[in-house]
Amino acid sequence: MHQVLIWVILTISSIFLALTILIVINKAWRETQAARHGRRRRDLEPRILSWAHGGEKSVRTALDGSPTALEKQAIEQILLDHIQRVRGIERERMAQAMEQLGFIDEYLDGLHSRRWWRRAEAAEKLGLAASKRAIQALSDALDDEMPEVRLRAAKALGQLGGVASARKLVLALNEPNRWSTIRVADILIGMGQESIDPVIDAFDDLTREGQLAVLDIVGRIRPIAATPWLLEKTRDEATDIRARACHALGSIGDPNVSPDLITALKDPEWPVRAMAAKALGRMLVADAIPELSHALRDPQWWVRHNSARALRAIGPRGLEALEKLVADGDPFAREQAVLMLEEAGRVDTRAGELVLQGSTAHTAAKLFIERVVAAGTTGRLRVLSREHPVEDVRRELLALLPEEAV
Amino acid sequence: MASKQILVVDDDAVTARFIASLLREHDYDVLVAEDGAHALELVERHELAMVVSDLVMPYRDGYSVLRAIRRNEKFHDLPVLLLSMRDREEDIVRGLEEGADDYVIKPFNARELLARIRKILHRKRKVS
Repeated sequence: MHQVLIWVILTISSIFLALTILIVINKAWRETQAARHGRRRRDLEPRILSWAHGGEKSVRTALDGSPTALEKQAIEQILLDHIQRVRGIERERMAQAMEQLGFIDEYLDGLHSRRWWRRAEAAEKLGLAASKRAIQALSDALDDEMPEVRLRAAKALGQLGGVASARKLVLALNEPNRWSTIRVADILIGMGQESIDPVIDAFDDLTREGQLAVLDIVGRIRPIAATPWLLEKTRDEATDIRARACHALGSIGDPNVSPDLITALKDPEWPVRAMAAKALGRMLVADAIPELSHALRDPQWWVRHNSARALRAIGPRGLEALEKLVADGDPFAREQAVLMLEEAGRVDTRAGELVLQGSTAHTAAKLFIERVVAAGTTGRLRVLSREHPVEDVRRELLALLPEEAV
Repeated sequence: MASKQILVVDDDAVTARFIASLLREHDYDVLVAEDGAHALELVERHELAMVVSDLVMPYRDGYSVLRAIRRNEKFHDLPVLLLSMRDREEDIVRGLEEGADDYVIKPFNARELLARIRKILHRKRKVS
């Protein structure tokens, strides 16, 4: 029994020892490989970069002939690392090197691999390698059965850019069950101006969600040339299309569209009115002050809120309009006006002017505060009546505020 | 003779190596720092022609490096070019208002970057 126990202990110890030795050897081997790879990289990188900056035609000349398999690994990593960090001629030359060294053909083959992760990796590398030749193959990969492959192919097409890529990507907006609309939209936004024509051309063939995404994409890219098309959409029969078109116009900020946005403030549907108000605020359209002031009486809170915010954004003239609205006949307009003036610090400024006893500024400030009190939104005034650093101001505010409010 | 030594500051080693390689290709001496703190040490120790600095870095970011340079009497007029992936208008304006001589967005065009660096150095030579 005793001997058996010793044998068991010895066997287990031997197994552990063997495993430990294996692990140590494996680690040493990996570290040696990594060190060799690092040395190869340090040797090759200056030559490749020098070639990318210079005028030599073939990268093989810079590499003194055809690289070995291990050198190719290092070269691939160097090129993929650098190509995504630059634009212009250097990027084109590195893309050319990837082509000359056969990497693009390898990736294109990889797109047909039976293993999905190889297809995904190939798609990603084709995007990084900026291979225009891969556009068709990547477009086909958008129909891959694996979502990860589809996504990486979409990102790769986004990196490659070009009208053909954008055309293929925009159709993905029609399949929300296969694609995340937000991700596809982000990729198209990342492509910038060159995705504008394809997304506009595809608009009529898209589902309502796809169309809304297109309006958001146009609004984010802000192409001034798309203004006439967006104006047309502000007259669409669908409420959400009209609303998003107004929003996109506000983002682009072409001052010529302000009359149309002012008209949209009278749209029968409140989401359109709310977006039109927001757009006018973003564009700082001072000519819209009368209409925005009127919109503070809108039955919908969002329209009132966006209009008040727009008046505030417009600046001194907008704030002046808000001050007048404090005495408006509409209680909702009064409330929004006071809230926005509080946010803009105007209530604090006026309260501070109470210190100027006997001046016209004092009279105006007092009148303003009386109006705010009458409007019934006295939250900030109450705080100031307790915390204002000037005692005279606190005392006068206390006198102006109704007893129960203090 | 004026110094041709340029300090490249970037926590992304690949970008730093690329810029260094580009500048060396055009006969500039290049020093590389991987963060803002190291960059300021090198600014103190070397007589530099200019600094090309990334904006987002650990310990001290590009703005902080820029402020430290502008506040130091010894090298407050050292030209600084900021390089960043931040392409928003407010970031660019902030960079220039903090005293950067130029602001280049990543990914950058190597030749454009080189032209901007040359222009800054030329201006500096004219002033001095």
